[in-house]
Amino acid sequence: MATHMSRCRGWSRVQRYGIAAYRKYSSGSRYPNISLSAPLPGIPKPVFASVDGQETYETRITVLENGLKVASQNKFGQFCTVGILVNSGSRHEAKYPSGIAHFVEKLAFSSTAQYGSKDEILLTLEKHGGICDCQTSRDTTIYAVSAEVKGLDTVVSLLSDAVLQPRLLDEEIEMTRMAVRFELEDLNMRPDPEPLLTEMIHAAAYRGNTVGLPRFCPADTVDTIDKKVLHSYLSNYYCPERMVLAGVGIEHEQLVECARKYLLDAKPVWGASAGANVDLSVAQYTGGIVKMEKDMSDVSLGPTPIPELTHIMIGLESCSFLEDDFIPFAVLNMMMGGGGSFSAGGPGKGMFTRLYLNVLNRHHWMYNATAYHHSYEDSGLLCIHASADPRQVREMVEIITREFIQMAGSAGEMELERAKTQLKSMLMMNLESRPVIFEDVGRQVLSTGKRKLPHELCDLISNVTASDIKRVTTKMLRSKPAVAALGDLTELPSYEHIQAALSSKDGRLPRMYRLFR
Amino acid sequence: MAASLQRLTSAGGNLLQRNLLKTFSSNRLTPGSRRLLSTQAAQQVALNVPETKVTTLENGLRVSSEDAGLTTCTVGLWIDAGSRYENARNNGTAHFLEHMAFKGTRKRSQLDLELEIENMGAHLNAYTSREQTVYYAKAFSKDLPRAVEILADIIQNSTLGEAEIERERGVILREMQEVETNLQEVVFDYLHATAYRDSALGRTILGPTENIKTINRGDLVEYITTHYKGPRIVLAAAGGVSHDELNDLAKYHFGKASWRSEIRVRDDKMPLAHIAIAVEAVGWSHPDTIPLMVANTLIGNWDRSFGGGVNLSSKLAQMACQGNLCHSFQSFNTCYTDTGLWGLYMVCEPGTIDEMMHYTQMEWMSLCTSVTEGEVARAKNLLKTNMLLHLDGSTPICEDIGRQMLCYSRRIPLHELEARIDAIDATTIKDVCTKYIYNKAPAIAAVGPIEQLPDYNQIRGGMYWMKP
Repeated sequence: MATHMSRCRGWSRVQRYGIAAYRKYSSGSRYPNISLSAPLPGIPKPVFASVDGQETYETRITVLENGLKVASQNKFGQFCTVGILVNSGSRHEAKYPSGIAHFVEKLAFSSTAQYGSKDEILLTLEKHGGICDCQTSRDTTIYAVSAEVKGLDTVVSLLSDAVLQPRLLDEEIEMTRMAVRFELEDLNMRPDPEPLLTEMIHAAAYRGNTVGLPRFCPADTVDTIDKKVLHSYLSNYYCPERMVLAGVGIEHEQLVECARKYLLDAKPVWGASAGANVDLSVAQYTGGIVKMEKDMSDVSLGPTPIPELTHIMIGLESCSFLEDDFIPFAVLNMMMGGGGSFSAGGPGKGMFTRLYLNVLNRHHWMYNATAYHHSYEDSGLLCIHASADPRQVREMVEIITREFIQMAGSAGEMELERAKTQLKSMLMMNLESRPVIFEDVGRQVLSTGKRKLPHELCDLISNVTASDIKRVTTKMLRSKPAVAALGDLTELPSYEHIQAALSSKDGRLPRMYRLFR
Repeated sequence: MAASLQRLTSAGGNLLQRNLLKTFSSNRLTPGSRRLLSTQAAQQVALNVPETKVTTLENGLRVSSEDAGLTTCTVGLWIDAGSRYENARNNGTAHFLEHMAFKGTRKRSQLDLELEIENMGAHLNAYTSREQTVYYAKAFSKDLPRAVEILADIIQNSTLGEAEIERERGVILREMQEVETNLQEVVFDYLHATAYRDSALGRTILGPTENIKTINRGDLVEYITTHYKGPRIVLAAAGGVSHDELNDLAKYHFGKASWRSEIRVRDDKMPLAHIAIAVEAVGWSHPDTIPLMVANTLIGNWDRSFGGGVNLSSKLAQMACQGNLCHSFQSFNTCYTDTGLWGLYMVCEPGTIDEMMHYTQMEWMSLCTSVTEGEVARAKNLLKTNMLLHLDGSTPICEDIGRQMLCYSRRIPLHELEARIDAIDATTIKDVCTKYIYNKAPAIAAVGPIEQLPDYNQIRGGMYWMKP
């Protein structure tokens, strides 16, 4: 029906104006017909900026009377990234239906008290060359805007409104339900299983608590989340003491002034923040296994088949990012490295990391072996993802458990130096980009109240020794394993056997005697 | 600190969104310049970005850089050579050569090269497109001299050993399979094949299997001697680089060197249809490129997991969202030296192809006939934002310098780009779109369950509204 109506409309518009009608006006265009290879005449002469003096920039932090922290880092350029970070994520959803953080992410920058619709928000930002984005993780929700520095006042006012005054209209919530369902569908259809495995291993490692709670809204709670539930949640977690206003590329005083104007006395739409009912649980590492039997024989979305794979992820408890051992763990993660068997992606992507040298280069039947390190304020998880043909799952598991055991052996001087240099270069390369600096400043200030500067982190990395690696690994190996397994799991060793392998000297699985093969 | 210390592989929790956040921010000129432009031409304007410096060596090689004072940098060679310069017999050579780049030189074995790069915490990358071949390194700024020396060694002294060539054949054939699982790449290759038929641009970058199996050392050497010539090479750098130092390094290391058509591949077992439809547009430096990019922005991009109303500046996105017409779509404008493809890539469920195609063409027609000043103003703003926010970090800036030097022989200053965008109004859009889209024969490439894709004549019929 709608199709027909709009089709008619389309036609009548043409009939009314006709093609010939607009052609008459076409000669009036003032668009210059000059090749892009030649400068446009009459353009003012540019005066360029120089880079002197920017090394003196430092991170400055001010705490407002209501507890809100304002953190900034100045930077070269006429663009800024400014945003509000909230200590709120899926780990705080214990007393609520799971998926609130996921909903909040999708609903962010919809209509607010000041702005009638998302479109109005976007229009306002466009005037300042800006865009907005919301991201949520297990422990933090980030609302961010990048725009011209001179739009700062508008940006902070808009952020305050988006965070504290969302209208949460019925139709917006309905739209979000649909978007969440689509995302869940895509998650299960994607050939890359990494997000799903990460979800599963968190559930296995922290059974039913904090960072083990689902990051993606489970299908069965999609319909239970409504304005009432959201308001109840937000009133507990969205209080100024749990927030940081961070900015990169602006003057600190200016940001503080805007914060006072728009965030000091702002009353949230859900009423005075109670703040009383905050879940302060500390992450309880439990270990365990989460399995998902799934037919992976035909995951390709196209005509070229992807070989059938079984994916496993094995993890052990590392440490929180607040502990000193976080740095040795980050170095260890870099040293393990790995990736896809097809290509390390050229020199520099970790082709001499252990998972390439010891695993992928030796066992060509393996499809992937990659190390990951997830770290939170109270715990962390170092894990390895591996995939191979379902018939070789047992062998694959043993190769990975042996790698875990070998982490406690002594690290070679060369490989340790390489891992440290690569960690430092990765840190500095990531921090080339303004949004990454913004996230770094915001997250550090949110969790510690201060910021370790890049060069301080580099010094800490330089100081890591082989005995640090040995020490943190030995401690890690005392924890119970967390295991996630996805695909055809016929050949998957039992959890007890994996656990036994990880507490043995050589990482081998207990021998199995089978009467019939 | 946790965030920035994550290995890149694990940073992609939610790739789309993270990319969005990453494309944030960059340097941008003050809007004041716009006022300046209209009233006092030939005045000065302050740009809070570093200057792009350009110098040329005697042999024609150009050196171009922008110093942002960072502790890391990107430096690379942009070469005016790609699959377009091949013929049917040697199609695939440029790409084969890219594969051989890191396989050892007269000074360094493959292992030496890999260890050296890994130990200095640097990255080495190479890619081949239809018109450009690129080799670049990311490194600490203090290692710039070494990075340039390595790049020089790679393109001048590669051994191109027979054994390595044989080994790389297998790797490329495997890469080919990998590419074939990426449906977007498959569809775009088909689109080029149908739009440019038997000419060089119609061929793939990887080349046909027969060629990959037969390309030999002689072909590779011939390709290098023909195409890797001073005037066709740009040494570009960004991040923390001193132009004088770079120029000296360049002198030292390089100074001595010398239409009715469609392709359909029906596969009903696939869950989704992947379709690209495009018209022939213009090359990089043609003035109409910019209005076509604005037209592109007017059509926009959309993905259903964005949620409703995210991209309200695009009418097609609103229709796709309300009518559940597709999973995603992207408007594109792919440029080459003297031609280009302007169109739309869509991923649909089989049952909605017909309607999605109908609305796409309806939007295209409305660009030609009835786009409003308000819509155009908004798209211009968005285009500027997208272009400028993309220039964040040393690698995107270095790539921009290298590409622009090859396409325009200069780097277009931001305020000039802005002036060119500002000069566009609804009339320009209608004119330019009419010139390239209205009543033009589109090229179509489609893969998947495409029974419902209208036949070519019907789609062709949707390229006009009423005979004037």
